[in-house]
Amino acid sequence: MLHTKILDSAIAKIEIAKAEKFISSSKFGASIFFIGTVRDFNEDKKVTGITYDSHDALVIKSFEEIYNEADDKLKIKDKAVFIEHIKGYVKLGEISIIIAVGCKHRDQAYVLSRYIIEEIKKRTPIWKKEHYENETSEWLKGKSLVNEKN
Amino acid sequence: MKIKLELYGASRDFSNQDHIEFNIKNPISIKEFKNLILEFIEKKFKGNENYKKIVKGSAFCSEDDTIISDNYKITKDQRIGIIPPIGGG
Repeated sequence: MLHTKILDSAIAKIEIAKAEKFISSSKFGASIFFIGTVRDFNEDKKVTGITYDSHDALVIKSFEEIYNEADDKLKIKDKAVFIEHIKGYVKLGEISIIIAVGCKHRDQAYVLSRYIIEEIKKRTPIWKKEHYENETSEWLKGKSLVNEKN
Repeated sequence: MKIKLELYGASRDFSNQDHIEFNIKNPISIKEFKNLILEFIEKKFKGNENYKKIVKGSAFCSEDDTIISDNYKITKDQRIGIIPPIGGG
């Protein structure tokens, strides 16, 4: 069971309650919520916010691929996964991503949650532009997808 | 033949719009198209090395939202997305 969505920060916010409702089931004895927020410092620069950019279709596709891989690689068949990522401007302390997982057992839930966020970092086309206290901004250097697909 | 290059992430700095249009006479591969983008950077941004680095490190995706290889041939009018190095979450 999978829910994925990209939310435009100008219109909506990520709501933890929606994730909780989605993964809630008496079948699952373990739930993990991973919540990513905008933090205040990066490389000695005072961050005031981040603008997230997204290739929406590719992002959703990669979320689905990661979820399906969990079946093969992690052998976790019974699971509920809720993934939402923001795009647009997000202020300090606000949520940029939520990954909520429900599994039968806690070891599965920890492994699955970690797997999803690490794979998103590796391959999901989302970009960050950090905004700083001195009113400058900068796209963060990321991981190239060139060698993986060519 | 018109190629609409859709900009994402750091490549958005290449234009005030969300895309750049290229008019091409003959079919070209992604590898050749990448060289055209580098020529565009050379002319418009006086060879800005950071921008060139972004192009060189970018993957590309087709209209059906698939990451395509350097050998992919563009043979008709279409949208191509430039996918700079990623880093969300």
